[in-house]
Amino acid sequence: MRSYLHGSPVRLATALIATAGAVLLAFALATSSSNASTSRAIARSASATSACGPKPGVKATGTPITLGAINVKQPGTDFTDISNMAAAYFACVDANGGVNGHPIVLDALTDQTSPAQIAADAKQLVTTDHVLGIAGTSDIIECSVDYKYWQQQGYKVIAAGIAPECYSTSNYADVNMGPRYSSDGAAQYVISKGIKKIVFDQSNVPGTAYNVGGVADIAKDDHVSLTELTENVPITDADSVAIKEVDDAGPNGAVVLNFTPPEALVILQAAQKLGLEDHVKMWACSTPCNTDFLAKSLGPAWQGHFYVNAELLPVDGNTTPTVGLYKAILKQYGSAVSGGIGSFSQMGFTIAEIATHALETIKGPYTKQSVNAAFEAVKGFNTNMLCQPWTYGPYSLHIANNEDWTVTPKNGQMVIAQGCTQISDDDPGIAQYRKVAG
Amino acid sequence: MPSWTEFQPFLVVGLALGGVYALSGVGMVVLYRATGVLNLAFGAIGAFGALISWQLINSSGVNQWLAYLACLLFGGVVTLVYGMVFGPVLAPRDPLVKAAATLGLTLILLGAMDLLWPSSGGESRSITLPTDSSSFMLGGVQVTWTDVIGLAVGIAITVVTGVFLRVTKLGTAMRAMANDREITATLGVPVRRVEAAAWFGCGVLSGIAGVLLADLVALDPTTLTFLVISSLSAALIARLQSITVAFLAAIVVGVVDSMLTPIQALTNYRDMTPFVLAAIGLLWVNRRRTISMSRQGV
Repeated sequence: MRSYLHGSPVRLATALIATAGAVLLAFALATSSSNASTSRAIARSASATSACGPKPGVKATGTPITLGAINVKQPGTDFTDISNMAAAYFACVDANGGVNGHPIVLDALTDQTSPAQIAADAKQLVTTDHVLGIAGTSDIIECSVDYKYWQQQGYKVIAAGIAPECYSTSNYADVNMGPRYSSDGAAQYVISKGIKKIVFDQSNVPGTAYNVGGVADIAKDDHVSLTELTENVPITDADSVAIKEVDDAGPNGAVVLNFTPPEALVILQAAQKLGLEDHVKMWACSTPCNTDFLAKSLGPAWQGHFYVNAELLPVDGNTTPTVGLYKAILKQYGSAVSGGIGSFSQMGFTIAEIATHALETIKGPYTKQSVNAAFEAVKGFNTNMLCQPWTYGPYSLHIANNEDWTVTPKNGQMVIAQGCTQISDDDPGIAQYRKVAG
Repeated sequence: MPSWTEFQPFLVVGLALGGVYALSGVGMVVLYRATGVLNLAFGAIGAFGALISWQLINSSGVNQWLAYLACLLFGGVVTLVYGMVFGPVLAPRDPLVKAAATLGLTLILLGAMDLLWPSSGGESRSITLPTDSSSFMLGGVQVTWTDVIGLAVGIAITVVTGVFLRVTKLGTAMRAMANDREITATLGVPVRRVEAAAWFGCGVLSGIAGVLLADLVALDPTTLTFLVISSLSAALIARLQSITVAFLAAIVVGVVDSMLTPIQALTNYRDMTPFVLAAIGLLWVNRRRTISMSRQGV
């Protein structure tokens, strides 16, 4: 100790800084090797994207059609992959002839769940940026804040929604089901397997009563008891949460989770670590859990125990042209899509596909009126990413996506456990939509 | 109210988390005593190190123990460099200013983590220690070896640090600096080197806590960064002086937080545990102090 106290501090600091440099160098090398492989993959897929436009390889040079989007982007909650993927799709369209010769430009703004900021974003899109339509929005509270504004301004929004107003108002139609109806789907699946009790656990954020409302109705109609739990996020005691869920559900019950993937993963990994996978009959989760990295992280212990509602087509092992185009666009144009293949980028792809289809139907000039009329007129459009054809329509509410798959992790991927199944109209929201939409 | 049997698994979880909070709290107390700095970047440094470990393991196939060692070294070196660069500049300033400066480091590290390991698209990452897969039964409760390590490391760090401070020359120098830095310096103790040792040791502890909490809680930058609140609570209850009290307080914080989980009426309020216990603890230790107030000129 004496020698340390009287040794050279300069020498000590130099040695430590050199060590830190070595650690950071190793880290940088690890990162750069993965970037190099991505570049090679992009080069290979360059020719597969010509199908996204009418004139392969011909760049659109007409007057741009500017669309807008608002996404939440804050630590722990970042939905920008949806508009980034939509922008990637539009870039592909623009590079292959555009829409009647016009390129599509997506003006995507972000917010940090501040109502004032979200309202300002909407006004900026309309009054400053003069967007002709809104496509690619996905946010925690944007629908709640802006729905009246879009009604006043005559915009028909194509979005990926969360808040109740995304599904219960006239000027939003979503490609996804949102947490409520996706949770319905997860609950329906476990009920169909004969469980006696559901423990429904979700983030303790505004809207929890709305999210669990449909599950409560479905469980009641099927005489299944329900325990509702909420967790403060980020979860800091996942082991305790997992133990509580399993204790409440019992051996004949199911735990249904409605969390973002990181939160769901920490609960499931805690359950796995404690050997709780088979202490309940089943585990289930709403759509956010439908990601490969979650399947890879969980491993084989969950096969046959864990089921996830999938609002969009499971793409693992799927070789349809739509999935091929989705993957090719992601590789060639999706460098900003940090999450890669997954629900978020699928939603962005589907929104852009629908918007492009609608824009192609416009015969005259591209104006706010013509673009929004075209959006609203979309009827029975087969995106190949959803269970059913997608319709906007002049309805007072829109739950355009109300059939889903159920997937389960297997060998590091999510595979289909149950094909397309209608969300139960025991949920009054679904019943009302089917009544108005026919 | 759940039965005792139902509480038992939560006790195990709480002891493991409490152990890690304890080693963090001890690190913060020792650094404060030696340098006068309350290191609020403790959690962010551990989180950054844990993410480096994850990257090394998953992108370049580095042996996981080497990757965890990299986390410890990262914590030690970053903390040391911060201390060597900013410590002398901030030495004469108020403790509040010194603590606020470490918040700056926290924000820089949080921003860098968000840039390097984005969460858009809902990615999640995890560190799974080999000890997660081996467990034993204790009174009907499954206990993993990671739980045991969490508590054992907390105890070991507390004991070793206590012995170190009492027995070694460096420890004696640290204790002397805690009493009076200037007198210690005039006695010929190389103050800068003693501080360097404290900064480096605190950083290594942040790396250990980062790896353990990444496994026990989650490998998420925000979560790990702000878990420092539980350790900070323990350090405050110890009045930033006693590592034994810091250890005990951290264990209580971990156990109470966990044991509240199955109580339906309180479960959503359990995140308040560190704050409530810190408030109670500070009121208790100050119970005999008399506060006099007077108005000038009256």
